[in-house]
Amino acid sequence: MDSFLSVPILVFAAVVQVTILPQFSILGGHPDLVFLITVSWALNSTLEQGVLWSFVGGICKDLLSAAPLGSSVPGVLIVVFVIHAIRQQLYSVGLLTLIWVSVLGTLFQQLLILIILLVSGFQPAFANRLGYSVLVDQFTYFVLPTTVYNLLTIIPVYWVIRIIQHRIRSDQRMARRN
Amino acid sequence: MRNWRSNRILFFIVSLIICAGLIGASSAGLLAPLQDIITPPLNFITGLFNRTTQDTLNTLNTDTDVASLQRRVAELETAINNYQSELVTLREVASDYQRLSELLNYTSQSQDREYVTADVISNADPNTPLRTIAINKGTRDGITVGMPVVTQLGLVGRVLNVSANAARVLLITDTSSAISGRLLTTRDEGSVIGQANGNLLMEFIPLAANVQEGDIVNTSGLGGNLPPNIVIGQVTSVRQREFELFQSAIIRSLNNFDTLEIVLVITNFQPADLSSFEQSASSPGNGG
Repeated sequence: MDSFLSVPILVFAAVVQVTILPQFSILGGHPDLVFLITVSWALNSTLEQGVLWSFVGGICKDLLSAAPLGSSVPGVLIVVFVIHAIRQQLYSVGLLTLIWVSVLGTLFQQLLILIILLVSGFQPAFANRLGYSVLVDQFTYFVLPTTVYNLLTIIPVYWVIRIIQHRIRSDQRMARRN
Repeated sequence: MRNWRSNRILFFIVSLIICAGLIGASSAGLLAPLQDIITPPLNFITGLFNRTTQDTLNTLNTDTDVASLQRRVAELETAINNYQSELVTLREVASDYQRLSELLNYTSQSQDREYVTADVISNADPNTPLRTIAINKGTRDGITVGMPVVTQLGLVGRVLNVSANAARVLLITDTSSAISGRLLTTRDEGSVIGQANGNLLMEFIPLAANVQEGDIVNTSGLGGNLPPNIVIGQVTSVRQREFELFQSAIIRSLNNFDTLEIVLVITNFQPADLSSFEQSASSPGNGG
């Protein structure tokens, strides 16, 4: 059930990300919904499910962009593995966890996408003009706004995902009892 | 035997290998048939969402204030009066141009452009470094890679990849986009490059050029990738440094790339293929 849910939820998030959110973009950015939903789900599920959601989310994003298929997956995949490793040391997911996941996770994921696009030859002019100012520009206008927006929106997204997860688990318990 | 997924390191490595395989196969074009199957329904949903959002926003933004509408009508009437006198002058210039071009047997390229109108089905996603939009016309409508995409306000970009019923357009504001531009007033040329902040930077303008704020920049047609005389944007600031051999200018496109709804694809323009010249120039036999 949890695995099947990944497709409609993440397709919906990816579509909203490229259609509705750009209309309300402030200072040239908006939250990365697919990333936020994937990590929020991974924070309270098994590693296998986190990995599955990373693949589905990353592929949905890439299908709606010009990037090669799979280029959005490694960043979120590594974040999911790190979450799983650290979560075993934690009693519960708190505000601090959400902050570091959104800030460090977003920074890492966005920088990895830049590197993948560079290596796969999708940004030839960027590669030719690779210099300090270009990197600063990419960071200022692309990585930083997404990180700030993700930090501001991770709490409501996590809250909605937790409600869905609670609902699914209570349904599963009911089904087992019957 | 232990489940391989219980070994986290092995699971991690296998997942990364699958990712690398996906990226490699996609870059090599091996996944194109699969993408052609998945993308049409996804494009349909995206188009539906985009249309609904645009319609809702248009309804909400409709100005219902009568006083401001009356003021706006008065402004527009004044503007029409000004434009009408300008139109008379321009018609005279056009008839002179027509007469002179007939004498010289010259046909303007802009007169015989063919367009295909397309709806934008997904906007540029600021969360990815590639600035692209998707349109609802593809190979079935005669769209091919490299075709220029414009609006009435100027150049939007070029077709980057195309499927049967959709195409992805690389915007001129993408950092990998470089266009040969020409200043309308001084006729000086330069290279217009996309910036991460969504603006355009015109580089390599000769130092002697008198570039002013508000100057219009058109495509020059040099390089053969785009037809000439399509508006790229307007100069908003000029940067001239003593130690540099060229000056540069910040250009602002008249298009708002976040809210594009309808675009035109110029279908009868084929980009010039200069790759054979590059190969012959780089071959050892021609190296001198």
